[in-house]
Amino acid sequence: MDYYLQQLVIGLSLGMVYALVAIGFTLIFGVLNVVNFAHGEVYTIGAFVGLLIFVSFAPPLVVVLLVVLAVGAMTGVGLERFAFKPFRRFNDEATLKSRAMREATLMSSLALSIVAREGIELFFGSQFQSLPLKHMLNSPIKIGPVTIVDGDLIIFGTSFLMLAGLQFVLKHTSVGLSIRAVSNNPLGARYVGVNTDRTIAWTFAVGSGMGAVAGILVGLYYGAIFPAMGFTPGIKAFVAMVMGGLSSIPGAVVCALIIGISEAMSSIFVSSVWQDLVAYAFLIITLIFFPRGIFGGARERV
Amino acid sequence: MSAFLETLQLGRTFGGLKAVDDVSIAIQQGELVGLIGPNGAGKTTLFNLISGFTAPTSGEVRLKGERIDGLTPHDIAQRGIGRTFQNLRIFPNISVFDNVTVGAIGHENIGLGSILPWQKAKSDRITQKSFEALQAVGLLEEADQLAANISYGKRKYLEIARALAMQPDLLILDEPAAGLNETETQHLASFISRLHQEGRTIILIEHDMRLVMSICQRVIVLASGRKICDGTPDMVQKDTGVLEAYLGVDE
Amino acid sequence: MNASDTSHHRWLWTGIILTGLFVLVPLLLSLAGRSYFYQIANTIMIFALLAASMHLVTGVAGLLQLGHAAFYGIGGYCAALLATHFKLSFVVTIPLAGMMAGLIAFLVAVPTMRLVSIYFAVATLGIGQMLHVITLNWVPVTKGPNGILLFGGMKVFDIDFSKPVPAYYLVAVIVAACIYVIHCLSHSYYGNALRALREDDQCADAMGINTPRLKLESFTVSGFFAGVAGALWAHTAGYISPADFNFNVSILILSMVVLGGLGSLPGSILGAIILIGLPEVLREFKAGDFRNIIIGIVLFGVILFQPRGLIGEVSALDFIRNQFGLGRKAKNDANKTDGKQMRVGWL
Repeated sequence: MDYYLQQLVIGLSLGMVYALVAIGFTLIFGVLNVVNFAHGEVYTIGAFVGLLIFVSFAPPLVVVLLVVLAVGAMTGVGLERFAFKPFRRFNDEATLKSRAMREATLMSSLALSIVAREGIELFFGSQFQSLPLKHMLNSPIKIGPVTIVDGDLIIFGTSFLMLAGLQFVLKHTSVGLSIRAVSNNPLGARYVGVNTDRTIAWTFAVGSGMGAVAGILVGLYYGAIFPAMGFTPGIKAFVAMVMGGLSSIPGAVVCALIIGISEAMSSIFVSSVWQDLVAYAFLIITLIFFPRGIFGGARERV
Repeated sequence: MSAFLETLQLGRTFGGLKAVDDVSIAIQQGELVGLIGPNGAGKTTLFNLISGFTAPTSGEVRLKGERIDGLTPHDIAQRGIGRTFQNLRIFPNISVFDNVTVGAIGHENIGLGSILPWQKAKSDRITQKSFEALQAVGLLEEADQLAANISYGKRKYLEIARALAMQPDLLILDEPAAGLNETETQHLASFISRLHQEGRTIILIEHDMRLVMSICQRVIVLASGRKICDGTPDMVQKDTGVLEAYLGVDE
Repeated sequence: MNASDTSHHRWLWTGIILTGLFVLVPLLLSLAGRSYFYQIANTIMIFALLAASMHLVTGVAGLLQLGHAAFYGIGGYCAALLATHFKLSFVVTIPLAGMMAGLIAFLVAVPTMRLVSIYFAVATLGIGQMLHVITLNWVPVTKGPNGILLFGGMKVFDIDFSKPVPAYYLVAVIVAACIYVIHCLSHSYYGNALRALREDDQCADAMGINTPRLKLESFTVSGFFAGVAGALWAHTAGYISPADFNFNVSILILSMVVLGGLGSLPGSILGAIILIGLPEVLREFKAGDFRNIIIGIVLFGVILFQPRGLIGEVSALDFIRNQFGLGRKAKNDANKTDGKQMRVGWL
């Protein structure tokens, strides 16, 4: 029983990480109807920037997280500038969410993700990089009969704070309002005076910032980072986004948690190497029964 | 004689809304029938019910005496109903000719085996039918252009050509005159009556009253999902119910 | 332009391609004189087949396929296992591997066919990842990350094809035959039906095109050819491991198709030549460290400046139909058959 509880907690924190990454996908899909294939690399960049800061300044965790958030946001803006904006040459609805643009940006973000990953590899080497031991988030904590590490709590807490922050930004700030407006109806938003270009850049900033923070949190949790580390969480988050219905943030978060928990729980029954299989099997089953994702609803946007 | 196409108490509800309610119509072979009605009268829904895009909640559709409701659109298309769409659905990124071939391909029902040498007759027939259809609408000159690059008016004819290449027994045209100017509409009118004179059975859904009244022998009027009138253009024009429906809704 | 003209052209281009493949390239390779180059040539051909098979399903039928490497892998493992456990010959393993991959593609496609666009893509991705996890961890059968070594070389009826030159010819013949079939499918009217599916599947359905069947067929056929490619890879490389078939390989194949031009078969093949050839060229120039970055930059540049790919679909289709005579032959056939009455002038 305790073991189950322990796995549940681990699953929740794993799921939260997926959720942070999935939100980036979801926000970007919302405003542009495209998949950002370089999102996994933003996660990696977050981890490596965190490593650099730790090694050179060794500041408190909160400062690192804030800096990583900022760097992630800037990476997102840069990514948007190079891989997405050049393909938005015309501004009517048809072009803004057209298939041609979807395909082009899919490939351009993929191309940039290759450049980023290989760049990191060239600089740091493809091996694991260890984060300084004393910063690692793995001191055990005993809560009643359950033993977890402080990383689980920190990941859960940070993610929770960021999700709450996101909700606040989306509901109560002008940036959030314009993101929601563009995501609902880009042309309408433009007609009522929303600066779509700037809004899209903001969306990338918010989504990428969260992805980057997820990267450093996981890095600290496992104590090791490597250039290709963004791949698996990227795929899982992508899956969560699709299962959640593409542009629904609550949907993506819930599905990310489901994936995280089911992965952690599955290790009770099968060897941990089969964990990934569980997530993918889950995906296929979901899609067969809910062809538009669990929270897809009636809105057809694809 | 049993009707060529008939619907029997056909109904379809969306949520609580009765989009099509208890509609029974019968089309005889060789007829050119106009289907009119104010916006939201259920014309397009009726169309979708006949062509299999929407499944009816009640009633039947019969083509040549056989029930076709509940079949997939491609089954219905292969049984001989060719249609166009209200808001132009051509395939923009392939050539005009290739667009038209799709109708003929559907008619021949080709599959993987079509690349085998002894199946060549099929593809020759497709080529021939597609040229005939293009010729019928006068788009031969544009055959090799990308469909996205021809004018709006020509795309309308392209859509009709594609439906003609299906060699349909019944042709359903969904608002073909929408977006066309006066002269273009007149051309279209004479084109449709020529198709009719060649012996085709046609249902024409239209907003343009003058077009319908000038070329159709019979007009069916829908309002709020119900059939309110069915008769010659003269009859329909004098019908008080039709007048009310139009005035009532247009207000 | 008359009929004899067209057929003349047809043989001209077929001749050029076959001469290039069976005479010029082997000649160049033997001049270079290193067996490593033959291996690169084989890899390029295998990836050309992979790109061509993905072209059919993604470029022509418009189904974004993110798990193509899975079928490639099934073919590879199937061939490797048949060859090592049952000592089956090359002639048997290749078609069996293809059929196995095709069968699994079919089984995968049946439940996922009604998914649309990105949902379908993510389903293929999931299945690709599942198969990868299985090859990685089903150690008793697949030997896990260690992979499988194939002994015994390639023998067809006791004739040994393991040496570089015969191996090259064997791969070239099989790949050429497979690509010929894909060419027939994608440039005939069957291809038009698939294109209609890509452009607007609802509308295609209303034209009498059996869209679910076509999706199923194209996906299965594409899986079959990917399986053949996998078997060829297993036999020519002599060693396979899960890393040969991971997600990055799916993306590499997709990149080839997009680089060359979605919907363009010659483009896909060109994409394969560039994305496999370029890194090798860079390696020769001691730029090995930068090769993947350069691939990324090339890909990005092409998408930015040549969004329809290096050889766009429209021009590829025009060229192939005129030169190889599938579907409608020459551009001006129309004027010939219809004479005067063609000018109707409704517009």
